[in-house]
Amino acid sequence: MPYQMPSNRVEDGRAAESRLVAKCIAGDADAFKEMYDTHATRLYNLACRMTGSTTEAEDLLQEIFLQAFRKLSSYKGEAALGTWLYRLAMNLCLDRVRSKQGRMDRVTVGLDDERGEAVMPGPGRRPDTVVQRLDLERAVEQLPASYKAAFLLHDVEGFEHHEIGEMLGIAEGTSKSLVHKARLRIRALLGALGSTTPARA
Amino acid sequence: MNCEHYQEAIGELVDGARMDEARRIEVEAHLRDCAPCRALLADLRQIRAAAARLPMAPPPERVWAQISAQLPIQASRPATPGKPGLLAVIFGSGRLRLAWGAGALVLAVLVLVLALPRLRSTDTRQVASGTAAPTAATGPVHATDTQLVQSVESELRLAEQHYEKAIAGLEQIAKAGQGTLDPQLAGTLQKNLAVIDQAIHDSRVALQTQPTNELAQESLFEAFRRKVGLLQETVSLMNEMRKGNQAEAAKIIGNMNKS
Repeated sequence: MPYQMPSNRVEDGRAAESRLVAKCIAGDADAFKEMYDTHATRLYNLACRMTGSTTEAEDLLQEIFLQAFRKLSSYKGEAALGTWLYRLAMNLCLDRVRSKQGRMDRVTVGLDDERGEAVMPGPGRRPDTVVQRLDLERAVEQLPASYKAAFLLHDVEGFEHHEIGEMLGIAEGTSKSLVHKARLRIRALLGALGSTTPARA
Repeated sequence: MNCEHYQEAIGELVDGARMDEARRIEVEAHLRDCAPCRALLADLRQIRAAAARLPMAPPPERVWAQISAQLPIQASRPATPGKPGLLAVIFGSGRLRLAWGAGALVLAVLVLVLALPRLRSTDTRQVASGTAAPTAATGPVHATDTQLVQSVESELRLAEQHYEKAIAGLEQIAKAGQGTLDPQLAGTLQKNLAVIDQAIHDSRVALQTQPTNELAQESLFEAFRRKVGLLQETVSLMNEMRKGNQAEAAKIIGNMNKS
């Protein structure tokens, strides 16, 4: 999982990040490239999964790093650089998804994002219980933006709920609840993976 | 049996969160008795494990090229007559150790893309404000206006030559693999290249009359960048077609249509 260094290495990591950031602010192209190389792949995949489009993800990745470059002087080292970048990235992704959703909502009136979780035994239902990667990707794609954001940050990227709360500007408990609802929705979409859906009281 | 009551606890178990001892005993007792909740827990754990294993594909190399072309990176050593030229400083400094697989050609293009903002942000601005006496910020007096203009012109010519070299290389690769492209697509690409060539020609004509016109310089290099971009896309498209990777080829065509 990313960004979970043993505690005695956290200090060194932070100091190295601060030096890197200082170099970037001073206009060192190599330092900025190093920052890009360290984080671009994960942020690109996050953007791909948030938007469901590699083209949009490329645009977003550009926007993320150009904005990061402009805002680096406001990075005070209070959070890991990765966490700071993810917060910035997620804001841009959500803006993009929501503006797209806004456009879609105008033509698909009545779309209810918060419908029940135990629905839709998807076409991908199989007798085995192994979660297939492509099915999972497709199910994630169908999640509402807030579920998707929390799920990707927690289950894919490995951030803690308190970090996600900070990134998305929500309470830690809300992050827990969003991730849980996202998993339930995915399970429903995957057709309960061949097992029985629990009885609802 | 109130399964809803255990939903939150099941979420916590999936997260591997610590649980109060009494609560844990209660939840375990429920799970022993309730097959649906056991199945739910198992499924959610599987989903979490599968999510952690999702693969990560690296972004296309062009993304960094596009980012670096827009970075307002300051030149640490402004080019002055008598000192090595800006491009020589960048090429010779060994600062650009980019471990990219596409080889020296892509590197040359990137160096140019990186170099251009520097040219614009230092040299041409000095020319633009060249009538004023140099201030403390621009360093000691190092040239007359005429020398500066000549210096900028020669730097631009050098940059232009490097672009042309990169374009010639890419054109050669593109020509060699032309057969792999669908004739209609090849026609469209040719048409797009012709539009860019026209823009290059127009900018050159404008620069002949006003060599230090920043707008004309910018248009010329923008046209160069577009041409390099289009040729790079063409080469990657041919590579994907050769590999028979239709999905990736379609993606590239989609990008081309977008830009």
